Amino acid sequence: MRNIILQILGLAAAALSSAPSFAQEPGQAAATVIAIPPMTTPDTGTKGNELLAIGWEATQLIAADLRQTAELVPLPPKQKDYYSYPEVTAPNFPKWRSAGAKALVTGFVQQRADGRLTFGCYVYDVEAGRELGRKGFVVAKDDWRRAAHKCSGIAFKGVTGSPGVFDTRIAYVAESGVGTGLVKRVALMDSDGTNHRYITAGDTIVLTPRLSPEADKLAFVSYVGGVPQVRVMDVASGSPRPLVPSGNAISFAPRFSPDGSRIAFSMMLGGNADLYSVSANGGYPQRLTFSPGIETDPSFSPDGSRIVFESDRGGSQQLYVMNADGSRQRRLTFGGGGAYASPSWSPDGKWIAFTLRSGGARRIGIIAADGSGEKILTRGPGDEGPSWAASSREILFQRSDSAGRTGLYRVGLDGSEPRQMSIPQGGSDPDWSGVMD
Amino acid sequence: MARKLTLILCLAALAGSPAAAQRRAPAPPPLTGIDALRAEFAVQSGGSIVYFGMGSNQLSAQALQVLTAQARWIRKHPEVVVRIEGNADGGDTRDHALAVGARRAQEVRDYLVLLGVPAAQVTAVSWGKERPGPGRVATILVR
Repeated sequence: MRNIILQILGLAAAALSSAPSFAQEPGQAAATVIAIPPMTTPDTGTKGNELLAIGWEATQLIAADLRQTAELVPLPPKQKDYYSYPEVTAPNFPKWRSAGAKALVTGFVQQRADGRLTFGCYVYDVEAGRELGRKGFVVAKDDWRRAAHKCSGIAFKGVTGSPGVFDTRIAYVAESGVGTGLVKRVALMDSDGTNHRYITAGDTIVLTPRLSPEADKLAFVSYVGGVPQVRVMDVASGSPRPLVPSGNAISFAPRFSPDGSRIAFSMMLGGNADLYSVSANGGYPQRLTFSPGIETDPSFSPDGSRIVFESDRGGSQQLYVMNADGSRQRRLTFGGGGAYASPSWSPDGKWIAFTLRSGGARRIGIIAADGSGEKILTRGPGDEGPSWAASSREILFQRSDSAGRTGLYRVGLDGSEPRQMSIPQGGSDPDWSGVMD
Repeated sequence: MARKLTLILCLAALAGSPAAAQRRAPAPPPLTGIDALRAEFAVQSGGSIVYFGMGSNQLSAQALQVLTAQARWIRKHPEVVVRIEGNADGGDTRDHALAVGARRAQEVRDYLVLLGVPAAQVTAVSWGKERPGPGRVATILVR
């Protein structure tokens, strides 16, 4: 990873005293119109013009980010609307009200003595005439995109109360070739598809890459030693090592805890798969389940206190919840019509996404964390592996067609038609990171 | 009745064996080393693959028969290293498939060991659903 140096400035995020006047609940149709005047700069002369150019590119990227959401409708930014520096922190609210905007995001970019850039972003409730949030960042000059994504995130959070997905990453298994010539590589990209790169070389089968919450570490399953085993690596350094010294034992299905300190995973002893958890730096694993049968796909609750997983201990594949130390195991799903698999706990804690296997099809569904309100979101027939957006408003999953071609799709919780993501080849086993800091 | 079934199975195995193909193909080079052993193993044990019902790791009567013949052959060849490769059904989910493949491979390995094959001679691995096809376990002679 290049010089992605990002610091939070002294501009502390303003505490929200109350919800904005247009606060929405998920699933509500009304979108908030948001104005995005061009980012300005306090600098003048040639340098000022150069920074205005960067600011304009960042402004367009923020508008593009927000246009992709269901919750915000950006007014198209106009480059000729020069925005003065004092207006960044003292906007002319009546003007934006008459333009039809309910929210406003302003910003500036300034060059530091060391050549890096300072970005400042502010979000306002136009109707109430008050600030909803602000944040500042220092980035290397080449990383202005990262700063723009951060501004988009602040705007989204200010309006909706949920984190945005703009400054997040997606790991997945890139698939090229067919049949016995199928090549699988771990790939990593920004959530808007930029910065795409391959992490493994494709000389051995790899499965289920899982990012740490801040996307700086990666755990995945590799056949490099002949037997599928979990390996972990720093994304920056790029050299994977075994998670646990497990000899010839098969280990798989790794998932980071929300604070990134631990990894839960499955390990097989004979024909029996049980769950374990271990420090993300390695060490001696703690065994969490002891029942015969297959226990796999652990996923932590957002506070790290519980783990949802799948087990066939009751005769059919169902979802179970336990405390993170393995205590208080209890069944969550009681569906008789199919197999519940690959659960994933939403970042807001409310939902658990899963794959339902029934009638020869695999579909993606959600169920409330207390086991109520089950809802199937996709038609299948070849869907699996749900992974949540940081916003808890969207799910990323893998879809295979009848010819075995795989792709990555996004679906909202309202069950609207899934949208295919654009990636350079086939893709499976997607994993969406939390917001990077 | 059982003898009759065995006879039919043997005939079926022979019909699908390389020997049948060789009658039509122009004189292939004689097999040597591990390839010759693999051919002999496949013919004499009635196949190197056993199949499973959807999601199951239960060995069928036919599978038991094939594995019994496999065990007999492997016991006579202690120099050969054997790898048991488990495969799950393509409709399974990724991680469950990995465990099902491993469970099936373990079931086959356990049965071979039960029939007197030294445990140290046989390793087991799971391909999950990475290799398309029906749920099955292949007994591979490595060297």
